[in-house]
Amino acid sequence: MNKRYVMVHDENKCIGCQACNIACRSENNVPEGVTRLQVRVEGPFGEAPHLHYKYNRVSCQQCENAPCVEVCPTGAAYIGDDGLVTIDDDKCIGCMYCIAACPYKVRFINPVTKAADKCNFCKDTRLARGEQPACVTACPTDALYFGDANDSESEVTNLINTKVTYQEKTHLGTKPRIYRIPTKRGGIES
Amino acid sequence: MNNIWGDMAQYDPVTWNWVIAVYLFMAGLSAGSILIGIGMRWYSKEGNKESPILKASAIIGPVAISLGLACLVFDLTKPFHFWLILVNYNFTSVMAIGVAALLAYTPLGIAYALIVLRDDLPKWKLGFLSPIGQLLLPFRQVIEVLLFILAIGVGAYTGFLISAMNAYPLLNTAILPALFLASGLSAGAAGNLIVALTCFNSSAGDDDVTKLHGLDLPVIVTEIMFLVMLFSSLYFTGGAAAESLASLSQDIWASVFWYGVVGIGFAIPILSMFLPSSTRHTKAMMITVACCSLTGVLALRHFIIYAGQSYIS
Repeated sequence: MNKRYVMVHDENKCIGCQACNIACRSENNVPEGVTRLQVRVEGPFGEAPHLHYKYNRVSCQQCENAPCVEVCPTGAAYIGDDGLVTIDDDKCIGCMYCIAACPYKVRFINPVTKAADKCNFCKDTRLARGEQPACVTACPTDALYFGDANDSESEVTNLINTKVTYQEKTHLGTKPRIYRIPTKRGGIES
Repeated sequence: MNNIWGDMAQYDPVTWNWVIAVYLFMAGLSAGSILIGIGMRWYSKEGNKESPILKASAIIGPVAISLGLACLVFDLTKPFHFWLILVNYNFTSVMAIGVAALLAYTPLGIAYALIVLRDDLPKWKLGFLSPIGQLLLPFRQVIEVLLFILAIGVGAYTGFLISAMNAYPLLNTAILPALFLASGLSAGAAGNLIVALTCFNSSAGDDDVTKLHGLDLPVIVTEIMFLVMLFSSLYFTGGAAAESLASLSQDIWASVFWYGVVGIGFAIPILSMFLPSSTRHTKAMMITVACCSLTGVLALRHFIIYAGQSYIS
């Protein structure tokens, strides 16, 4: 059966420390000034003393219906055998159509390669060695889960089946593969 | 504001800038000019004569598209790898379809220019190209029909190109290709008029020039109609689409729309029709009004590109 790699971000466990952000930068040699992954701390929401923040992971959503792949004129943005949205640097000419078309605005021009760049779940490095993506491993509170959602035994399948989750901008029909467990106000119960 | 998650510059939703707006303008101008030049030739009684309008479109067609494509190539982050787009095609991408169309349209436009201008080339010290024009003359009918069809494609394609991005409600509308085709015709008519009057000694009283001048009003009315359809569909869609209507009242692009598109592009040409006919049909007045139309179309492309990308659903 095909792999369906997904990531789950538990916003209850996340503390916005950016360890994932730094781990990603180091693992993927992301140049300064651009980012594949940020966790934005948004808020506070609510009224004092019942305030809460939202930890918003901003990175490639690995859409199953990826607008960037659809619009790429040369096929530099493609979906690999593993189902992951990936970029072939050598085919990219830098027209920026994908960057404009991405509803999540998570694509950017890498100032070194001059090609479009974004998160690919560490596909060429850690995933190829059978390891988890750098952000997942680095997270100090274990707020990130990664795995194959087509494997009924996997932790991510279990989480998606048992927790309330949401995905961003599903109304655009992109089928994003980043699932988020929303913050429960007033403390952590998991 | 300082934040701990890093630089936010890359997340600006406005990805494509004025260079792309100029390209969209040039593509529309080129296509519109060709459509009007060839269209008027087909409807004219003296079909075998090369009219000044047709000569104008034979110049504007290939020159405008070449300048537009130059803008496009130098806007790439890897301009010297542009040839990759000519050998790799992903036909779900409107851009790839457009490249294929332009790959036929541009050389055909140049070939057609050589045919139409074969007797004028020696005047510009380009006489050595005249034999090529003569050589292509037997194929004129085929080239003309193909070029006309491709020009419709090129004019509409610029609209499809940006309406394919469904994250931007102002762009993701079915009317955009039609609007761009209509405003391309407006630019093409204006461009043809200016070149015919200034370079080919056409006089303001010529039959062709009067006919072309008469196209102004219907084209402008069509454009206004399409804009009303665009904005009303956004209004009734609601949500993020309705929010994008703020582009008509906020920021610099609202001024560009009201002063540039509506004021200069629509109001001046329409108001000029109320001038006494002796003033209205002078060469100077015609050129002024045509320049206003061109400015309006350029402003429309800028408004659509910038305001369109500023509102994301």
